[in-house]
This record gives sequence, C-alpha cells and structure tokens, in this order.
Amino acid sequence: MANYYDIDDILVEEEIVSVIFQKAASGVGIDPSSETDFIETGSKVELPFWLAHELQLRQAVSVNVPPCFNQKTRLEIQADCACVDLRSRCPYFYEFGCKIAPIVGDRTIGFLLLSAFKNRYREVLTKAHTAAITAGSKFWTILTNEEINLYETAQSAMASFKKWRMGGARFQIASILGRKRKPTE
Amino acid sequence: MAGQSNHELSLFSAEELEFIAEDEIVDIVPNLKMDPLCLISGDFGPFTPQIVTQVPLWLAIALKKRGKCSIVPPQWMSVEKLTQVLEAERDSQEMSEHLPFHYVEISRLLFDHARDNISDAYMVRSLIEDIRDVRFHKVETDLEAFNGRTIAVKIKNLSAMEVNIVRPFIGRALQAFYKHDSPDLIPDPERVSDRRPQVAPNAPRRQLRR
Amino acid sequence: MASGSVEGEQSSLADDYDALISTTDVELLKRAWRNEKAAPEILRFESDLITRVREQIELMEETVEEKLTVGTDPLSVSLYQMDLDRTLFLLRSYLRIRILKIEKYMFHIRKTEELWNRLSKDEKFFTERCTDDLKKHLEESVLSKLPENYQSYERQSVISEEDDMVPEPRLDTFVLCRSKEYLTGIQLEDGPVDDRSKLFEMEPDVLYFICYKSIKSLVESGKIDLL
Repeated sequence: MANYYDIDDILVEEEIVSVIFQKAASGVGIDPSSETDFIETGSKVELPFWLAHELQLRQAVSVNVPPCFNQKTRLEIQADCACVDLRSRCPYFYEFGCKIAPIVGDRTIGFLLLSAFKNRYREVLTKAHTAAITAGSKFWTILTNEEINLYETAQSAMASFKKWRMGGARFQIASILGRKRKPTE
Repeated sequence: MAGQSNHELSLFSAEELEFIAEDEIVDIVPNLKMDPLCLISGDFGPFTPQIVTQVPLWLAIALKKRGKCSIVPPQWMSVEKLTQVLEAERDSQEMSEHLPFHYVEISRLLFDHARDNISDAYMVRSLIEDIRDVRFHKVETDLEAFNGRTIAVKIKNLSAMEVNIVRPFIGRALQAFYKHDSPDLIPDPERVSDRRPQVAPNAPRRQLRR
Repeated sequence: MASGSVEGEQSSLADDYDALISTTDVELLKRAWRNEKAAPEILRFESDLITRVREQIELMEETVEEKLTVGTDPLSVSLYQMDLDRTLFLLRSYLRIRILKIEKYMFHIRKTEELWNRLSKDEKFFTERCTDDLKKHLEESVLSKLPENYQSYERQSVISEEDDMVPEPRLDTFVLCRSKEYLTGIQLEDGPVDDRSKLFEMEPDVLYFICYKSIKSLVESGKIDLL
C-alpha cells in the first residue's frame, strides 16, 4: 500500500460521521449519551470514520452523508465556490470525500469534489505564483489542507527560482569530494 | 500528503537546470593559444587567438573568468531579436518558439560572467525579464482553463526553467483532478456486493487509496 | 533539443551538433539521470553505460594526474579537472537518487521480481542488508512484543489480505516528458473514463504532463524521456 504511513491519511479517517445502528450491540461504550453500554437498533451515533467504516463492512451500521457533502453545502458551492469556507466544514474535504463516497454509495460526491476543486483551484493559482499571502489573510482560513499544500508548492517553487535568479549559490564541490578517491578494490 | 516526497524527488532545482544549461554550446573568441581539449564530454579547440571556436558554456565561462576569451552572445540575445520576440509574445496567446529551451539559465550565466561582452546589456536584460513575465502570465492563463478531463497536458515552447517553476503545481493539481475524476472512486455495484461479506478489516482500504 | 528552435542556419548546425553529441556517454548519462530523477519508481540500472562512464572517469583521473606531474599548463589541467568534476557529479547524483528510492521502497523492491532485477549487483547487496537490518530492528524493538497476530512487518494483522504496510511508489504521479520522434497510436493504460479508449499521440519535442503509469512502458523502452 502506497500510503500506510501517511499521517494525513490517518487524520482524514478521524473525521466524525453519523451512523445508524442496524443491529443491537451490547458491551460497547461508544455512545457517550447512553447510560448503559447497550445500543439499540436504529440508534444514531457519531463515530470516527475508521470505526464507522469497519462497522459498515460488518453491516452493523449504515453511514449517513456527512454535513459537508449535504445539499446545503452543495448549493453554497454552486453559488460562490471560491469563497466558501471549506476549511471549517472539513479541512480534508477532498480526501474525506474520496473516502466517504463509496461508503455512502453516492456518485454525485465525485462530481461535487471535481467541480469544487476546479473552481477553487483557479483562485489558488492566481495567488500562488504572485503575491505572498499574509498570515492573517482570510484566504488562508477558508482553504482545505490540499488547497494550502497546492498553494505552498507553487510558492516554494517560485521562491527557489527567485533565489537562484538573484544570484543564489552555485554548485560547488564539497571539500570531502575534492580529495582523491581511494581505490575501492 | 502522500507522495509529497515523491514530488520532491522528481523536482529539478534551479541549480541543476543551470548545470544542464552549461552544456549548451556557445561561440568564443580566445585570446590564448592552447591545444585541443579531449574531455569526457567531447573534444574542443584548438584555441587560437582571434579565431572563433565552439565550446560548452561552462568551459567558456571558465576561460572568461581567467580573462582568456570573450564570449559571443547567441544571436537571440540581441536587442533587435528580443524586441521582436517580446512583440510576438504580447500579440499572441501562443508561446514564441524563438527562444532556446534554456534561455533563462543561459542569459543569467552570461549576465553574471560575460556582461561586458553583451552589447546594450541593460536593455537586453530588461527585455528578457519582460519576456519572461509575459510568458509566465500566459502560462497562468492556460492553467486557469484546466478542466481536469484530460489525460495529458501539452505544453508547447515552454522553457526548461519556466516549466520547472510550474511543474510542482501542475503535477499536484492534475493528480487531484485525476483522483476526483477517477472511476475507482465508486466501485461497480457488483464489486461492492462482492465485497460485502468480507470482514477483513483492512482490505477495502486499497481501492480508496489515492 | 534546446537549439532545435533557434532559427536559420544556426538551426541545422545545432541539429547536427546535437546528433553528434547525443552519442557521448555523458549525454546518455545525463538522460539516465533525468529519467531516474523524474520517475517515481526505480528504473533499470544502466549497467553498460555506468561501466563505460566509470572507465572514462578513471582514465581521465590518470590523465589529469599525469598532466600534473609533467607540468602541463595549469589552465588546461583545471579545465580537464572541471570536466571530470561535472561527470562525477552526474554519476554520483544518479547513484544517490537510486539509493534514495531503494531506502524508501526497499521491502517492495525486494519482493517484486521485476524491480529487483533492475538493480545492480551492489544495489542488490545494499538492499538485502538494509531490509535485513530494518526487519531485525523492527522485530526486536517492537514486533516481538506485540500479540501473535500482529507480528508481521509487512501486514497490519494476520487477516490482512495483502502486504498493506509496505510503502510503494505512486505510479499515478504526473511526470513531464518529451518524445524525440512523432509517436502515434499510444494506447494509454489508464486515464479518466472518457479518454481511456482514445489513442494518444505525441509530437516530437513538445512537453507533456502525463500520468506516469500511462507511459511507463515507453519510458522503459527509451521512446520517451522524462525531464
């Protein structure tokens, strides 16, 4: 697996989703509002994605579409995509979307992600290679992690180019390499 | 994000591009007499005072630094040619094809080491800066038109340094487009039902992975 | 490549020159270096080329040594030395990128025959030692202390159906590439649904951003260069 050790990938799975139990379960303390450790069929519980996913595979729960992909958010994204604060909805909006779509079986989430990214990416692009954004800018606060990464990627490429153009260091031989090599055999 | 170090791995630094550009051939006028050099990278010379010869840029700069030659700036590095290029760049959304692939690196190397050999150096330099700016804006305009439904992005006449600046951004953006547009995002219904009875805790992670 | 677009008489001259120098081993090494740097996975070790380059480096080292002892013009000696340093840089950088990739994906490389066969003898030795050491370290420090079902360094638990803890290169990385000749009828192995059935063509000397796995085989066969 390509990214077992990817910390962001692990954090995405910490996102909370709401599920409905399809089976009664006892001996579990996952519902903090409940006074017993018994969960009835039909109970609605909030769980981290990774747990919800496991339970869903065992057909113990059904997963609801999270609020960041619901109809209201979709309408807002359609209306003024670039200005929607996706960060407060879910910092891992795109990654989470990719994970949740097959679980809730909603093909339209893919389209939503694509159109959101397409529109917002333009905004990131126009800012990325030109002006640096000050730390307190509103722009920062509405971007998802992937969008910030994209922005930073562009910024650092431009910064290293500028450094080079201003007469940055040229390649030099490390002193250790200047010495004569010893024969290897 | 996963793959970030991958991106770093595949990136060429500006210094590395400069290294590559140093192999481009330029004309020099030596002012010393020296036997031909039989180098690993090729044979160059003989060097005779006032007789033009062709050498790689790094060799030209090495001689120039020691005052042993003057470098003949390439044809495109003249005010006349660059003015034409700048006009062409401004007139069209297409990238002009009249600049060499390493024009940014070559011009910086020559400005740093052989400024006195460039006529109208100040003008030439500012023309090149202007051209780079115009071209870069065009790249950005092109990028804005991305819609994601492409298997490949074709880039005509973009120079080595220009493409290197936008490479990390484009690579990452394309990967995101690709991922969100992927048919694997939602598996076929049959595959889902196949998967159902499985209780292996981690197996289904795979198809979700980017 | 670079000079291809310069107009007029210079162009044909430059083309001839390109054709001429493209045959030098340094040019070939530079190409191998760029491909290796840009490709997400490890490529076939350019064994013959590296042997030749090493020989040329040794020969040049002797030549420089000799020139120093007979008191050749120091300017000319320093130029020989610079040429040598440039070649050494390419060689070192090439080998180091490969080592970086090996360190990152060692378990994957070791168990994948196709990748394993791409390594040089020295690299195989290095990979064996790395994997053995890391495995031993993981087992002694962590794995042996875990419950029986969780003692694999490759699998999360005994019920994992695949080696789900082994890092692998991302073949869906987008790379920048260029073909020397006109390529038509390229059947892409992968891509967005709409385009998958389409044949793809590449114009010579035009740059393309494309998903690495779509053109993997063309990189391996040397038809396309990464940069």
